[in-house]
Amino acid sequence: MMTQRRQSDAVIVGAGASGAVAAARLAAAGFEVVCLEQGDWTGPADYMSDRPEAELAWVERWSPDPNVRRGPADYPLTGDADVRPVMYNGVGGGLVQWAAMWQPLLASDFRVRTLDGVSDDWPIGWSDLAGPYSRVAREMSVSGLGGDPALPELDPYPNPPIPIGRIGMAAARGMDHLGWHWWPGANAIASRRHRSLQACQRRGTCMLGCPENAKATPSLTHWPAALAAGARLVTGARVAQIPLDERGRARGAVYVDRDGVERLEPAQVVILAANAVGTARLLLLSASPRFPDGLANSSGLVGRRLMQHPYRTVAAVCEDPLDSWQGPWGQSIYSLEFAETHPDRDFVRGAKWMVMPHGGPMFAVAEYQEAHSHEGFEALWGPSFHRAAAEVFGHAFTWGIQAEDLPEDHNRVVLDPAVCDSSGLPAAQIEYTVSDNTRRMLDFNVARAVEAAEAAGAVSTYTRDIWPTGIGHVLGTTRMGDDRQGSVVDRWCRAHDVANLYMIDGGVFVTGGSANPTATIMANARRVVDHMIGARASQEVPS
Amino acid sequence: MSDSGPTPDQRLTLARLADVLVAEGLGMPAASAVGVADGLLDRCLDAAPALAEPLLALLDEAPADDLDVFVRGLAAGRPDDFAILTTTVVGAYYLSAEVRELIGYPGQQPSPLSAAAEPEYFEMLERVYDRHPGYRECP
Repeated sequence: MMTQRRQSDAVIVGAGASGAVAAARLAAAGFEVVCLEQGDWTGPADYMSDRPEAELAWVERWSPDPNVRRGPADYPLTGDADVRPVMYNGVGGGLVQWAAMWQPLLASDFRVRTLDGVSDDWPIGWSDLAGPYSRVAREMSVSGLGGDPALPELDPYPNPPIPIGRIGMAAARGMDHLGWHWWPGANAIASRRHRSLQACQRRGTCMLGCPENAKATPSLTHWPAALAAGARLVTGARVAQIPLDERGRARGAVYVDRDGVERLEPAQVVILAANAVGTARLLLLSASPRFPDGLANSSGLVGRRLMQHPYRTVAAVCEDPLDSWQGPWGQSIYSLEFAETHPDRDFVRGAKWMVMPHGGPMFAVAEYQEAHSHEGFEALWGPSFHRAAAEVFGHAFTWGIQAEDLPEDHNRVVLDPAVCDSSGLPAAQIEYTVSDNTRRMLDFNVARAVEAAEAAGAVSTYTRDIWPTGIGHVLGTTRMGDDRQGSVVDRWCRAHDVANLYMIDGGVFVTGGSANPTATIMANARRVVDHMIGARASQEVPS
Repeated sequence: MSDSGPTPDQRLTLARLADVLVAEGLGMPAASAVGVADGLLDRCLDAAPALAEPLLALLDEAPADDLDVFVRGLAAGRPDDFAILTTTVVGAYYLSAEVRELIGYPGQQPSPLSAAAEPEYFEMLERVYDRHPGYRECP
């Protein structure tokens, strides 16, 4: 028999970026909150980032790809996708491994249909997120410089920008020479002690966990306050279904615990924050006679319109030493020069660029060998092996180029008919193809980035094709909108079909923009939860 | 991997294979000379345990002679196996303190932030501000 607890005010599925914001805010407002997280806590004791073996951590234990990492909380991602998502399942979610780049959307990102005639407008605009952007930036101890003319004005970031370093200076000189936009990067990495974070020590292992506790992750920034305010976080709780009462209200969440016992966590409100893949998967897993195609899926859009920011890189190899293994591995500088639609180009929308370090010698060898693979074995191995370290290591920086992929119905998350996770639940199958628009966009931007690298003094450049594994940006599978036939949730991220079911992760994005999405995910979660608190008296609840 | 780790024979084979991949040159030592098949191998496999089983199978498969041909055959026709071998060898090689010193790599060490080396920064930003048309206004 399924065990159950007494009903709480809200149950949140997922303890990552948006779930942590919701838990902290709701608990502070006096709500009784329970968060179910399939993974566990990850902290400095788990990190390999302060060990000499740090580069080897990428091979397996700290691979961002759950299919490689195969942690106990990971579920398989199947399907023959052009870009396969990556994610981290545990307290903090993707922010355990993120690079902490903090980038608000462009104002135009909310009006893509109106301005460019493609996709759809969001039901909200930039001004709806301006306040929440500032509030979550403070909670995340963001370091950055305001005043970027490419963006509407924001409140100043709470910490001064992190020095852009030699790599940033080299890249910025190139952009300055070309007359192109650049700006010092904002990062959720503390440039000085701030709230729960320590000052960055430039280890450059940000994506392997920061042993200095300088990188913002919810286990530092949100969960301590949430737990202190009374929130309850249940780890090792893999949610299998959202059950409904006879009136079609969500009753709570059914999860499988570490012992394989199925439990019901009843709640007045259910908030899904399991990322755009996990939330869509859970809705599809929750199909019922009332919703045979998946919970809250009368629109048929649950799982569809997956966006991932297809990604390419240009490495600029310079003669001067750049100490480019040093961090932080956030964004040193970024550029929005080619982020907007331009009538002379053969694609719509655009890409964001950011400068990053180039890593240690293993990265240098990998990049060099990929670029020189056509020269054959003799050029890469034997006595020649050492050329990579001699020419590239410490002398290169990377322009990362992330493209705005437009929402397309055929890019989607479905349930795998055969493969299951360790709890016996169907895996998430990813169907995703990179559009011609995106390919043209990336080709154009890579060509410009090569020009920028050469203007920065690069003696050689290495370009990489679209990465087959994603960069952790999963968006769009439960999009928001005012039209219930054309969206899954309304402007307050409440399901059109289920009055007490909310979704607050990146799935609600209507379009993806080209900005790193975490700032917007967290700001939107804050906006939604603040509204939820204000509208508490009128919230419909299960019987 | 067995509880006792690679056998002496397997280590010997790896040392020979590793020298095909990373030979002495450009002032750098060969892989075996810095102990890629010894303690560095153990550290590498401890950091990435999934390498162990396929690596040891490869070492058992390697012939006694013609290791150069064997390695080139992996490179040409067995990319997954070649990746296992090269990840191990390259990963272990760059764990060597001697190698790190030679290439000037201190590892991912902490060092405090400093803005002292960025005098031109704000001048360039002024120019960004001056030439940028401003963000796209939206209805």
